[in-house]
Amino acid sequence: MTTTVNFQLPQQAPAASAVELRGVSREYGSKHATVRALNDVSLSFPTGTWTAVMGPSGSGKSTLLHCAAGLEQVSSGQVFLAGRDITFANDDQLTDMRRREVGFVFQSFNLIGSLTAEQNVALSLKLAGTRVDKSLVRTVLANVGLADRAKHKPRELSGGQQQRVAIARGMVTRPAVLFADEPTGALDTKSARVVLDLLRTMVQTQRQSIVMVTHDPAAAAAADSVVFLRDGVIVDHLARPSATVVAERLAHLEG
Amino acid sequence: MLKLSLRTFAERWQLFVGSIITVMIGVALVQSSLLILISLATYEPPASIPMLQQIELANAYEGGIALLGVTTGFSVFLTAFIVSSTFAFTVSQRRQDLALLRLVGGSRGNVRRLLLSEAAVLGSIGTALGIPFGLLTMELQTNLLISLQLVPEGFTPDFQFWIVAVAIGVGVGIAIAGVYVAARRASKVRPLEALRESGDVRKVMSPGRWIAGLFCLFAALAMTILSALLPSVGAMAVGINAALVASIAMAALSPVVVPLVARIFGFLFRGGLIGTLAQANLRDGVRRSAATAAPLLVLVAMLLAQWGSSETISDGAAEQARRDTRGDLVVSTQGAAVPAIARTSGVELVSPESQVPLTSTFNEVGEVEEPEEPEEGEAPKAPEPAEVITHKASAVATAVDPVAYQRTHVVPMAEGSLADLRGATVAVGAFDTEQTIKLGTMIEAKIGDHPVKLKVVALLPDSIGGGATMLLPRDVVPADVLAAAPTQTVVHLAGGADQGAVVDKLREQGGEVTPMAAWLAETSKKNDQQQTKISTVVMGLSGLYALIAVINAVVIGAAARRREFAAARVSGLRRSQVVRMALVESWGVTAIGLVLGALAAVTTLIGIGASTARITGSGGVTIPWLMVGLVVLGAFVVVGCTSIWTALSATRARPVTLIGARE
Repeated sequence: MTTTVNFQLPQQAPAASAVELRGVSREYGSKHATVRALNDVSLSFPTGTWTAVMGPSGSGKSTLLHCAAGLEQVSSGQVFLAGRDITFANDDQLTDMRRREVGFVFQSFNLIGSLTAEQNVALSLKLAGTRVDKSLVRTVLANVGLADRAKHKPRELSGGQQQRVAIARGMVTRPAVLFADEPTGALDTKSARVVLDLLRTMVQTQRQSIVMVTHDPAAAAAADSVVFLRDGVIVDHLARPSATVVAERLAHLEG
Repeated sequence: MLKLSLRTFAERWQLFVGSIITVMIGVALVQSSLLILISLATYEPPASIPMLQQIELANAYEGGIALLGVTTGFSVFLTAFIVSSTFAFTVSQRRQDLALLRLVGGSRGNVRRLLLSEAAVLGSIGTALGIPFGLLTMELQTNLLISLQLVPEGFTPDFQFWIVAVAIGVGVGIAIAGVYVAARRASKVRPLEALRESGDVRKVMSPGRWIAGLFCLFAALAMTILSALLPSVGAMAVGINAALVASIAMAALSPVVVPLVARIFGFLFRGGLIGTLAQANLRDGVRRSAATAAPLLVLVAMLLAQWGSSETISDGAAEQARRDTRGDLVVSTQGAAVPAIARTSGVELVSPESQVPLTSTFNEVGEVEEPEEPEEGEAPKAPEPAEVITHKASAVATAVDPVAYQRTHVVPMAEGSLADLRGATVAVGAFDTEQTIKLGTMIEAKIGDHPVKLKVVALLPDSIGGGATMLLPRDVVPADVLAAAPTQTVVHLAGGADQGAVVDKLREQGGEVTPMAAWLAETSKKNDQQQTKISTVVMGLSGLYALIAVINAVVIGAAARRREFAAARVSGLRRSQVVRMALVESWGVTAIGLVLGALAAVTTLIGIGASTARITGSGGVTIPWLMVGLVVLGAFVVVGCTSIWTALSATRARPVTLIGARE
């Protein structure tokens, strides 16, 4: 069925993609023991869509996300983020991108423990240098269903609530791309469902571009399309996936 | 950013309270020592008391000034060392937080500003608490000085308002300076590190750290060599500082030693679960281990260097006195009693040494002289282009019988000869480093109220433990001054004389008589006591400060380990096992601190030992074994108890709640 997959990308202008990787490789280690986490990957994440990246452990999916978000330097190839070539961007430029163009949601929530939910969300705005609009912060928190938890600190919230605060924080600056690394990984099924529905709503109502790395076929099935990785190479692609098909493909890759 | 700083306070209170305490005590110590120093330096003895007492009082104050100078220097050094290392440690403990800030869009500048504004806040709070605390410290320090009789009774230091500026400079300035380097380093944290549980993965030994460590190490060695070559006065000053510089070197290089000690531990505890874990933790937390060892290291280095060198010096002085002094008895009387001692049957030779007050001026040809202060009612004098500098000094001179003195003190002069000490002449110490006094220099002096002109005919050799600094022939001293002068007379007995009988006779005449051996022993004991007092003042409060810093470092180190401990318990360790693991690990750190501190102290001891040996011609380093024992025991007990306490409190909550809590 999916023995050869050709990912010849159409030569579209980078701006039509939220993120585009061109011939990206990422190597780790010394001269003698090189690990190639990504091997000449070319891939485009269209604007306004939600793409899931899947693959067995060590397939390079996290590295792909980090490279796409400018958190890691690529060894070769080019990365375009929101229409800008960030391959050789310096720290200041990347910081700027993180403030305006990129939002993050992680498996481990990564909220600042000393700040309330509201303050965590407002921090992104502050760092972006925008005047903090309290009503905007409230609205975003209300959108993720946490209007009544604004004054709570992360440790007073459940995992699902913490993740929703993280999503609110990622979204408040209206970024071009939201990167999500196993956003449901630490959540129970019910909380995971809430988070996935939230992401789906954002794609539908705001044309939010989302790139999500996940293990979970149910999470992947919530996306518009799924890209499969193995040994640093893209090996498969599914549009409009269902959880069952995703699980099958994944089992096939891991087997 | 300031708001975020303030918010972070409530969360990481162990880190912040620790930082505030270090600033507070540091500010208090520096402020107190400095105020006492200034008050001593500006003290004028009342003119109403006799001349000799005035000079002795002035000398006492001068001794106090030198002592407080060293104490102030130590306090400043310790404050800088402890505050900056504590602050740098707290910064490195928060690496993941800072990476997270970067991840959500914080720039390097944001991270730097966050940390610097935090340092400013902590420094300000510490300073605000430190100033009133410093007043208490000053009371304590003054009482200590008075009770040890190092400053005269009734001495009260004054508060100066400018000290507030100094306190702010020390507290806030050192806090910010200490954080600056750490902040620059921390601002380079990669945002990705926020996502990793591995903590700080970078190499601890940065090139900068290597360079700083090696530079200080070489500087310390150079100071050791220098102190071995300098005259006694300079040797002590340079030698003590060698240990300070060496302790910076050791602290900087300690991460290199940590794995080594860990390996030894691994060998000692091989096979045991707790030992294996503790060894792995030591190696894994190199930065934490090094930061915890640092204050202990500097405490050990300073204690051993100070106590070791003062014992070495006092032993050297005793040795020198034993070797150079010839005589059977020492009789303490007033000058008037000397002829009677000489006439006592059985006495062959007497060498009286009378303490007389002397104020002197001597002229040195030099640069243009500043105009002297005008007398009351006179118009200020115009500056005259004289090429003469007038030195004024008050001293206690020793009036001797040169011939007898040479038979009781077999010391070759540095220059000239005591044979020329006849008439209006004087022999002075050759150890003034500026070499202002030479053979042939004319000194205008007043002995009591009698003006005399004295010619320098001999320069005394360098000596390490007191002894006469100025010798006068007795015939130049007016009879009334001499008769009233406190006098020690060294007595040689005639061959075959019965010492007991002579002693009895001398006692009948009303003198305090001591056999030479006992007198030397007593002098040496007094000297020892004096040195111990001095060390107590210099190290007492600073030592307590360093000790608090040690406890602080252990607490800060454990505060960040709740999750790690919880993980160990989830893996199957009992709470008691986790506590024991932390204890063994902390003892590893203690061992590192002790060994490196001792190594740093060695630089001082070698320098001072060599200098003492050169001046006295014998001897070597005296290791204060009692002190070493107390320090080793104390360090293991204090660090051990703190570690048990912090590990217990870090494991109080059920592990699963900590494992689950993600922030």
